[in-house]
Amino acid sequence: MTQLRPVALVGGATTRFGVRAATWSELVQEAGRALFEAIPELRADEVDSLFVGAAEPERFAFQSHVAPLAAELLGVAPRRILQRTELACASGQSAIRSAYAAIAAGLSDVALALGVEKMNIPSMAEANTSMACVMDRPWDGPHGATAPPFFAMVAQRHMHEYGTTEEALAAVSEKNHRFANTNPEAQFHEKTFSREKLLRLPMVAPPLRLGDCSSMTDGAAAVLLVAGEHAKRFTDTPAWIRGSGQHASWHNLANAGSLTAWDGMTLAAREALRQAGIGIDRIDFAEIHDCFTISEIVEYEALGLCPPGQGGRFMLDGQSSPGGKIVVNPRGGLLGCGHPLGATGVAQAVEVHRQFAHAVPASRQVPDPEWALVHNLSGSANVHSLMVYQRGG
Amino acid sequence: MSEEGESSAVPRPRRPNLSSPPAPPAEAPVPVEGRPEPDLPGARPRRATVPTLLDFFPAEDEKLTELHPFFDHLKAGRFTTTRCRKDGELLWPPRAVCPRCHRSELDWVDLPMRGRIYAHSAVLAGAPLGMEADVPFSVGLVDLEGAPLRLFGRIEGRPWKELAIGQLVRVEPYGLPDGRVFYRFRVEETLAPVGR
Repeated sequence: MTQLRPVALVGGATTRFGVRAATWSELVQEAGRALFEAIPELRADEVDSLFVGAAEPERFAFQSHVAPLAAELLGVAPRRILQRTELACASGQSAIRSAYAAIAAGLSDVALALGVEKMNIPSMAEANTSMACVMDRPWDGPHGATAPPFFAMVAQRHMHEYGTTEEALAAVSEKNHRFANTNPEAQFHEKTFSREKLLRLPMVAPPLRLGDCSSMTDGAAAVLLVAGEHAKRFTDTPAWIRGSGQHASWHNLANAGSLTAWDGMTLAAREALRQAGIGIDRIDFAEIHDCFTISEIVEYEALGLCPPGQGGRFMLDGQSSPGGKIVVNPRGGLLGCGHPLGATGVAQAVEVHRQFAHAVPASRQVPDPEWALVHNLSGSANVHSLMVYQRGG
Repeated sequence: MSEEGESSAVPRPRRPNLSSPPAPPAEAPVPVEGRPEPDLPGARPRRATVPTLLDFFPAEDEKLTELHPFFDHLKAGRFTTTRCRKDGELLWPPRAVCPRCHRSELDWVDLPMRGRIYAHSAVLAGAPLGMEADVPFSVGLVDLEGAPLRLFGRIEGRPWKELAIGQLVRVEPYGLPDGRVFYRFRVEETLAPVGR
């Protein structure tokens, strides 16, 4: 590989996530305002590139060609690269990855990555229809393939093969909701979900209950990435991008590998950590894709934090909570914050920078973090996208 | 792609009955389930129709797709897919080009019409447009008997609580009101379920 330039994520901001009385465009404007407030040193005219992570604006907002719309709303005029990135649930990280690639390659110096999704529309059935076309629409779609029944099958197989319990699933949801409880930007801010309460919620797709599933959420988030030499102008604690990895394994569900061993994630993590020159044991906290409780459990295993099949035990033993082996999803996760598809990956990166800057409430501050890992899966966990950050300054 | 009669992968199955359609016509109004929208009182439409582009079922006509033989076969009671003539790869879903050798010399071959449930769940809420009336409905991954394929599909014939890993199901073609055809699985009533 040719020599890449160092890239720093120097700040960011998110809107409040939830069922918002705001349109797609209003969410973009709100994220833009928050970003420029969070980084007062940033001048709009120095933003040379804009990447807009948006999964389904055509379906949820009946709007294509969203990158120039976002540029207009943000008041920026990109002269290097203007682009929308779509990778379903990982669209936001895809925007960051693209900005990273552009800066590392020398094609951009100051790039915004914005993620946005407006998912709560008048007809929830229509919103569910939009979610369903993430799968192989003509072949899996007619059967009713959406995310909940797919991840329910993952949970069923994990229970069948390893004896994982509903209690372990509920423990993931309880943990992430507890973190979200003190996050004012979370969809489930100031709401408490005990394990007992979670286990009484109705089934959505057995064995998954309502509390095992992330929500349909409106929200937007934005981060600023710059070439290394500019980092100090914007922050004392740059989040250096030290590695990234991605793996695409299948699309049609018939071609899925093991439901319970996500090898693609293991390979992507191995690549990202190799680039960073560290092992998983050096990661202080991880923002990983808990679209469903079972996802987080399988991800512990795929990351090598525990042996295959032991993810439920890892959770119940407190190994992913403060004081354990690693803190997982201190932001509140997708379960606690909600999951606006395009915004999620960007909001996770905002959390990384805030954790590094000690700019989060003490209740979720990871002690003196140096290394962070961010992961998004997309679709039926057929794609895994990971990035590794190191605190600078 | 060409027909491959006698040298099919498995014996050709008997012709099934096309059963009554499970879903309303694509253009017909369907009731829309919604959840309360506290920020938008009264803004939720009571009914919505399914536009053409939100129709989940694939195009089947020869004017629209090279894969029309799949649907022609299904109407004749055959469950088929494409196999690469060069490398023998069994491709699902049917393809126009082999993704390994990138040749278009593919043969249609018959697939087994029985299989066992590998994993299953049910949609109890959150169904897409046109499927709300089906709720609750079961879906699963099924290992076809005698072919290296694990297919996803709707599973009919038993309430979701009575399905089990290992249960035998058969492939069942079913007709849509507009003349198209698709497939699903149905639990074999004559055979006892295999325990989890």
